[in-house]
Amino acid sequence: MSKATAYYEKKSKRERRANLATYIVLIFMVLIINIPFLQMIMTSFKTRAEAMSSTNFFPSRLSFENFEMVLMRTNFSTNIINSFIVSIVVTVACIMFSVMAGYAISRFKGRVFNAYTTFMLVLQLFPGVLMLIPLFVIMRNLNLIDKLPSVMLAYTATNLPFSIWLLKGFFNSIPFDIEQAGMIDGCSQFGTFWRLVLPISMPGVSTVAIFTFINAWCEFTVASILLRSDGVMTITVGLQKFVQQYTQDWPALMAASTLSSLPTLIFLMIAQKYLVQGMGAGSVKG
Amino acid sequence: MSDQKRKKKKYETSLLNNKPLGYMMLIPASLMILLISCYPLINGILLSFQNYNLLKPKKQGFAGLANYIKAFSDSEFWGVLGFTFFYTICVVVMAYIVGMVLAMLLNRDIKGRGLFRALALVPWIIPPAVAAVNWSWLFNDQVGLLNTLLKQLPWVNKSILFVAEPQMARFTVIWTSAWKSFPFMMITLLAGLQAIPGELYEAAEIDGASFVHRFRYITIPQLSSVSTVCTTLMFIWTFNNLENIYLLTRGGPNQSTFVLSILTYYTAFMRSDIGYASAISTILLVVLVIVMMFYVRVVDKQAQEV
Repeated sequence: MSKATAYYEKKSKRERRANLATYIVLIFMVLIINIPFLQMIMTSFKTRAEAMSSTNFFPSRLSFENFEMVLMRTNFSTNIINSFIVSIVVTVACIMFSVMAGYAISRFKGRVFNAYTTFMLVLQLFPGVLMLIPLFVIMRNLNLIDKLPSVMLAYTATNLPFSIWLLKGFFNSIPFDIEQAGMIDGCSQFGTFWRLVLPISMPGVSTVAIFTFINAWCEFTVASILLRSDGVMTITVGLQKFVQQYTQDWPALMAASTLSSLPTLIFLMIAQKYLVQGMGAGSVKG
Repeated sequence: MSDQKRKKKKYETSLLNNKPLGYMMLIPASLMILLISCYPLINGILLSFQNYNLLKPKKQGFAGLANYIKAFSDSEFWGVLGFTFFYTICVVVMAYIVGMVLAMLLNRDIKGRGLFRALALVPWIIPPAVAAVNWSWLFNDQVGLLNTLLKQLPWVNKSILFVAEPQMARFTVIWTSAWKSFPFMMITLLAGLQAIPGELYEAAEIDGASFVHRFRYITIPQLSSVSTVCTTLMFIWTFNNLENIYLLTRGGPNQSTFVLSILTYYTAFMRSDIGYASAISTILLVVLVIVMMFYVRVVDKQAQEV
């Protein structure tokens, strides 16, 4: 008895010391990891003169001149609006298509559905550059080059496999009993899906929505090829153009970058749980 | 238990009757995927057997294996292929180590775990275009923070050209890509760690096993399948990725940071040699298919175990 108490006392003491060490290492690592990002925010609030001369990490006083310059005197605000339009349309389209397909491969058994599941997994892994060239040709034939619908179509298609895969896993965890009950009450199967299964699948749908939005918001390669004039550029392409145009205006560039990362940061703050769930879904659940 | 199973089976058979509904629900997504993903992929492979150069419109036509022969006899291609492998393996290993350390720290029962986890996710969540701008500001040779700090050291007397000097640029892109990739490793490994039953560690501790022993004989074996899946996925993603390097260095200086995907992009859209570019990306695909077959086998095995 006393031996056991001594063991646990010793253990809790050691535990506390280990916790302290954990905190120290974690704080140190998180700081190092976030330095590029913190420096961007700090620089964006410095005045131009201060940013280019002083090497202090923190701004001496908060200045908004860089944000003003970016939003008023460049057409970066157009890029932000474009990115919002594209990301929202892609997210809505992707959810509509993937809930149906995900439900189908989760609930119906048969060779077609099994093959489809594997196909969705494999398709996520194909190199994007391979389809870049033909995609450009297709969009040119459809007369969509330099128009926002071109990237909307491309992003929806490239995000579908992951979304379908993720939702399939989610629907798998919902018991059949729910549909059985609905069907006994006289609902068609599509009706049970629409009125019973979908409403309780909102966490899965939210995960897909957040992932699709972030992917569409962050994508650069496809946009750089399909969107070439200023009026239609999304933020990632706009930011690259900004780099070339205002090479030496670092503080303004930092302000533009800060604005570009805001939406994704908001998701990180309010929906971390869904993000983590989605990141795990692709690899851990089979 | 068996009664429940039989019941479940009955539900499933009742759902099987409505297969046409299942097919119909697949149609919208399939149309999008076939038109915008599959058709371009197949077309891309076909283009690799064509002479198709936008600058030489008269020479168009079937080329057989000429583009592949050109690639395999080109020292530029072999150099880029070599660096692509080196780069990918370095990034995966670095991301795995950092991800593992953070996952183990976050697996401890401490307060504020969610906050630390969120802060460690920042590199993964911000757009690659923003990350590239951040790094080039940090690496700036005149007023960049890193060079300012390094110059405080007695033996550093001039700025280090992180992205302008070829050898250095290679290490820089590996470093920045690993920085962008480790959060994924961290999250998947953390999920894996949380699935290990705590009794295993308790029993080992009472038996007097040291931390190193517990790590070697419990953590590593228990994480083996999660590790395989997440390193394979990361390998494929890094091998495919264009943005992490292109946005920071554009493949330069002097093409020292070219990887296969950048070589493809550059050949197609700067040199306008579409046939040759397609051949390079098809070779990229072949390498990935081999990795993918391995991956699908692991995932299938995992699904069977569950």
